[in-house]
Formats: sequence, C-alpha cells, structure tokens
Amino acid sequence: MSRYLFVVPPFFGHLSPTLSVGAGLIARGHQVAWLGIVPVQQEHLPDGGVFIVPEKELEPCREQVAAILKRQDDGPSLSGPEVMRLALEETYIPIARIMMPGLERVIDEWQPDVIVNDCIAFAGALAAYKKGIPCVTTTPVPPDVMGDTANQAPKVYAWQQQLIRDLQYGVGIEEEGIFVHSHKMNIVFTSAAFAGFTDPEPHMHFVGPVQGRPNHAPFDWERLSRVTTPKVFVSLGTLLVDIRKEFFTRLVEAFRDEPLTIIAATDPAVIDAWPDNFIVQGFVPQSELMPHMDAVICHGGFNTVNDTFMNGLPMLITPIAYDHFHTAALIEKAGCGLKIRYKRMRVPDVREAVWRLLREPQFRQAALQVRDTFIAAGGSAKAISLLENFTAETMSKPAMIHD
Amino acid sequence: MDTVTTGNQAAATAIFDLLKQFITEVIGEEFVEEMDIQPSSSFTRDLEMDSIEIVAFSEKVKAHFGEHIDFTGWLSGMDLDQLINLNLNDIINYISVCR
Repeated sequence: MSRYLFVVPPFFGHLSPTLSVGAGLIARGHQVAWLGIVPVQQEHLPDGGVFIVPEKELEPCREQVAAILKRQDDGPSLSGPEVMRLALEETYIPIARIMMPGLERVIDEWQPDVIVNDCIAFAGALAAYKKGIPCVTTTPVPPDVMGDTANQAPKVYAWQQQLIRDLQYGVGIEEEGIFVHSHKMNIVFTSAAFAGFTDPEPHMHFVGPVQGRPNHAPFDWERLSRVTTPKVFVSLGTLLVDIRKEFFTRLVEAFRDEPLTIIAATDPAVIDAWPDNFIVQGFVPQSELMPHMDAVICHGGFNTVNDTFMNGLPMLITPIAYDHFHTAALIEKAGCGLKIRYKRMRVPDVREAVWRLLREPQFRQAALQVRDTFIAAGGSAKAISLLENFTAETMSKPAMIHD
Repeated sequence: MDTVTTGNQAAATAIFDLLKQFITEVIGEEFVEEMDIQPSSSFTRDLEMDSIEIVAFSEKVKAHFGEHIDFTGWLSGMDLDQLINLNLNDIINYISVCR
C-alpha cells in the first residue's frame, strides 16, 4: 500500500483523468490525495479520496487566483502567440508560485511516497525535486502542443526556458536543468499513434483514455430513447463561458429544421428558446451518453475528444484557442473528423460537415481505427500498473535526493 | 523590426493589393468583407489568422515572389512580441528588401 499525492491545476479537463486513475488506485488499497488551489465538488471525488486546498497559504493570493481564472475567458479572443503568453507567463508560472508554500507544507505532513503532477501543475514536480520524492507527470493532451520552438522559433524557446528557470530559482532550485516535469515517467492519456509519436522517449507512456471517475449526473434517458433521428453530442467543456451564447446560437440556426437531434452539454440559460430537437443540460453523464451518439461536435477539449474516439464516433472539431488547433490537426490527419475553425464558422458549412460525418462511412471507419489504438494503449489498468511498478522500483532503492 | 522605406510607393501599393488578395483566398471573402484590411493590420490580432492560415498565406507569397523569399526562416527569428505585432507593412518591407 502506497501514498499518492496528485497535484492538479484549477481546470477540470486536467483534473478529470487523475480522478479516474486515483479511483483505480484507491480500489487497489492505496491512499490517494489531491492538492489544488480551488476546491472540487465532492461528487467528483472517488470515495476514500481526499482533496486538499492549503487555505492558510492561499489566503494572501485569493485575488490573484480569481484574476488568473477570469483571464482564461480571454483565450478565445487572443491570437496563437498571445495565448502562449497567457498560458505560460500568466497562468502556469504564477499558479506554481502560488501553490508552492502550501504544497510543501502538505507534503511534509502527508508524506506521500510518490507525487503525481499534472503537466501544467509545475509546483508538483518542483516540490518533489526539492524534497527528493519520486515524481510522475500526467499529460491529458497530446504532448508538444507548443510545437518545436527550440528549432523553429529559438527566441520563443529562450523565453519559455527563461520563465521556467526564473520560477525554479524563485522556489529555491539553483541547479541547471528543467524540473517542472518528471524525467522518470510521464503518463499520457492518448495513444502514441494518434498523437503522432512514432518513437517516443522511453519515459513517455501513452496509455490512452482512462475511465472510472464517479459521474452521478442525472439524465432524461427516457426522452433520449424516444429519439428516432441521428443523435449528435455537443460539448464546449467546462471553460469558455463567454462564447457559449454565440456558439449555440449558430448551432440552433444550423440544425433547428434538420432531421437530427442535438444533445448539448451546456447551461440551458444561454439560449432563450431551444428548438424541440435540442436536448440541453448543464452537466451530463458524458461517458454513458457517448455510446448512444452518432457524431460529436466539440472545440477540442481533450476529455471529450477521448470519449468520442473511445466510442469510434466521427467529430466536427471547431478549434477556438489553446491546444485545440493541434488536436484539430491530429483529427484531420487521422481522417476521423472535420475541422471548422470557430472564428470561421459559417452556418451552412457546419450543417454540411455534420451531414457528411453522418453519411460518409470513411470518417467512422477512421474513428474506429483511433479507437483500436486507444484500447490497445491499456487505459486505466495500464496507468495504475505503471504507477505501482514505478513506486515499487523507487522504494526498493534507498532514498536519493535529486535522483 | 527594421523600418525600410523603399522610395517606391507604387510598388508597395501593388504588393499590398496582392497580399490582400492572398489573404482573401486563404480566409474567405465573407470574412474579409467584415474587416478593413490596412497595411497596418496585424495578422494575428486584426485578421485573426491562425498558424495554418499564415502558412497557407506564406505559400502563396513564395509561389508569387519566388523561393528566395524565406518566409519561414524570417518568422523563426522573431520573438513573441514581434510575432504578435507582425503586420502587412512588415511583409511588404521584407518582400521589397528581398527583391
């Protein structure tokens, strides 16, 4: 029995797969805690898990945390290079600084055997490095979303490196090197084939989508069972609140008179009157719903992408910001969907794209091929055995600071 | 970024008109109609072009002005602020210098 501490950022898409892996670890008798800077609703947490928010150390940073979260709404209106700055300089780095003091205290009190940091929760890997605790990184999106900046944009690369070095220096790490991720093990929740990696570094383990986190959201299954037209699921994930009205207004325009049914995961209040062929609900049991769908429309949030291809469904991806464009490029390359950029989203194009996905079998065939690579990657069971083996190996060796 | 004055306003205007045409081809007439494309328009903020659209645009520039226009190499030497602020004038000057 071991003790795992997951260090997570305040974004549900990054937290979500760790809840599934954590649930599996708890089921196998391990002790699991999460540390974040924003509390999580208890219903999302697996039974037996603990979510720790170090309130005392966060107290002086409340306004800064609120400002960082609010700033995320600007993402859709920013350009690619501006989003890069928003992500690294205005989000990941300050969150790491804010997290560090409370995290270090919790580590001393809770004594984890292994720290598991999400790829943008830098503080987890930095604290593990400082304290000589073995560390694993989890990556919910295909890696390399910022591209090969070292070769293609050396000045941008230098800027990234400098920001990280300044952060490390500020938290008391003076050694040369980059310590915001584990160099021993990085568990990636997609397949190498889909992410476009033919020869990944040995510490990168592509396990595919993971499942098992609790989702108790109710749903009107009876209404769904009466639907006779093709069913299209739509999600914009949990971020991107400001653009919902505009996005769904266009979807209503595109599909209100079409012989299909839209199942939309969004707060119904964003539109005054939904057409009869729209089933709308704020939070849905997404993994349970997917097997009943025929196609998916989403912006490219990775948990919805994973759920979609685990069910072999074709996708219309409407990239908006962040890593969505990278994901859209992967989907186009795999042939399992179509892309219409949100900024260039014309109603007739959306309508035509969805009908193509429903009528032309090649999209579904390609989606089923992605599904095969996801299943072969091993999922939750693989992630859990990787973590257990890693723990056994590191604990059999004498503790070594900065290993 | 260097400011280059070519002394040939007619040539600069001709390049601008051509670039505007390339942009229209890449992002679609419908979206260009809603924009007021000026030499001072920035690619990412004003024209809201993403990296794929900028690559498609640069291919058109290369095809027209010749392979010696090393668009990608030129972009790769920029820092984040230069990329954010890159506008049509920068490209016009760059093409003028390369010719």
